[in-house]
Amino acid sequence: MTGYTSFRLPAYAVLAAVGLVAGLALGRVEPVALAAPFLLALVTGLAVHEPEVSVRVSLDRDRVIEGDEVTATIWLTSTRGADRFELFAPLPPGLESPAQAIRLRAGEEQTLELQLRCEHWGVFRVGKVLFRARDMLGLRSWEGEAGEAQPLRVFPREETLRSLVAPLETQVFAGNQVARTRGEGIEFADLREWQPGDRLRRVNWRATALRRTLWVNEQNPERNTDVVLFLDTFAEVRADGRSTNDRAVRAAATLAHIYLQRKDRVGLVGFGGFLSWLVPTTGMRQLYAIVEALLTSEVVHSYALRGVDVLPPRTLPPKALVLAITPLLDNRTAAALLDLRARGYDLIVVEVSPLELVTPEPGSSLELAHRLWRLSRGALRWRYEQVGVPVVTWRDGEPLAVPIEEVNAFRHLARPA
Amino acid sequence: MDALVRAPSPVVAFVPGLVLGALLFLVALVFDGRGLGAALFLAGATYVAAVAAAGAATDASAPLVAVLLLLCGELTAWSLDARLEIQAAPALALRRGAAVATLGLAGLAVAALVVSLSAVGPNHGLGWTLLGAAAAVAAAGTGIWVAHR
Repeated sequence: MTGYTSFRLPAYAVLAAVGLVAGLALGRVEPVALAAPFLLALVTGLAVHEPEVSVRVSLDRDRVIEGDEVTATIWLTSTRGADRFELFAPLPPGLESPAQAIRLRAGEEQTLELQLRCEHWGVFRVGKVLFRARDMLGLRSWEGEAGEAQPLRVFPREETLRSLVAPLETQVFAGNQVARTRGEGIEFADLREWQPGDRLRRVNWRATALRRTLWVNEQNPERNTDVVLFLDTFAEVRADGRSTNDRAVRAAATLAHIYLQRKDRVGLVGFGGFLSWLVPTTGMRQLYAIVEALLTSEVVHSYALRGVDVLPPRTLPPKALVLAITPLLDNRTAAALLDLRARGYDLIVVEVSPLELVTPEPGSSLELAHRLWRLSRGALRWRYEQVGVPVVTWRDGEPLAVPIEEVNAFRHLARPA
Repeated sequence: MDALVRAPSPVVAFVPGLVLGALLFLVALVFDGRGLGAALFLAGATYVAAVAAAGAATDASAPLVAVLLLLCGELTAWSLDARLEIQAAPALALRRGAAVATLGLAGLAVAALVVSLSAVGPNHGLGWTLLGAAAAVAAAGTGIWVAHR
């Protein structure tokens, strides 16, 4: 521990010394009387012992959801006690906890609980605490550090979604998506004439009675789909503690969770200055892998010219639905997405709108630049729409269900080839 | 006689010192305690100068002035500490208030003892001489004890 003295102690010492000397020099008692209380305070301050404090810290959980609270339990013991024991856990942005002060009695173990509010997703290292033991008047203090940093994973909170975007093509394994092809399934598709090999249970007796020949039912099978979440991490807009990347990560986590619940295979591509990918697969393990990858995804500034060619082929399987979550700020992402569409992928662009985070001063030249920027964004959207790619805007404050429903409405009206 | 009536009071001459001391207290509050020692020193020096200018008689209010100066320092420091956003148990504030009050009362007692002892003239017997010697030894012992800590 490092000891400190208050600025008052040297001041009191000088005052007392000057008072005593002035009393002698002037031959008067008043300066000595003035010095006496300060001398008393000086002796009181210097008589305080250094407290021997032992501190242990533990977290009740190491994985939480954004918005949750984690309890850090701190055990304190001191052989000599401290009149005022202040404790502060230095936390990275995204976690919050106020400093606390208690009285630490000698020889008594005390437990203190700090509530850490996880305001932002991410991987944090917490557990180190700074403490300061002071005497009651605050004339002397001792500061130290205790505890070991422990990893704390704060997963992004999920949005509520009632429906998802159904991929146009399905894969061969069983799932929850009704395929467009005919085969063994539950959903009725059509009627056709009986053929050798058809099972008796598939005969539609009402149609057979009407037409006097055997007719059978056809069904659409339920199949799984491949979904690739394409996260643009080339650039972001950040203002007032909010950023487009934060929302993009929340959307990706939500979509990954819900698609994986439907037994679909979900993959992830982090397309930006730092390239990352996860090959589509299914299951809870893949959900954790995606969320872990999302937690470490950050916008890395880069000048590298990068296309979809750099991705391993298995990352983007044929007939996969590619859900691009992008703020449409970087031309490299825009070109890569158009390239994907040209290769025949079923592509949907969810534009995480940065417009709410950028407000130019009215009347300034920035207002004109802002208008031009908005026009250029509109032109880019138009390019996507020309090649049959739905572009939906997810505005700040809106639920994710709004753009997803918009995509579904678009698909009802215009079905791409 | 007329000139004496019109002459300014000697206390007025120390008003600038008091004003400067008050300003230094404000500086101490604004700049986290910087200048507090100077403010206390200026206030004390102004008082001593005023008392010395007033005459040779001992001012009986000296202990009160001393304690008020000490309380100024302590309360300034307390208000500076209260600026820190720390969730403190309410009992801590009560304990600190009690500690400041105790220190003030003890300081008042010690200062009053100093003033009252100064009224005792020299050559008043062996008892007073022994008491003075014991006080000197106690003061020196306290200083040595504190220095060893």
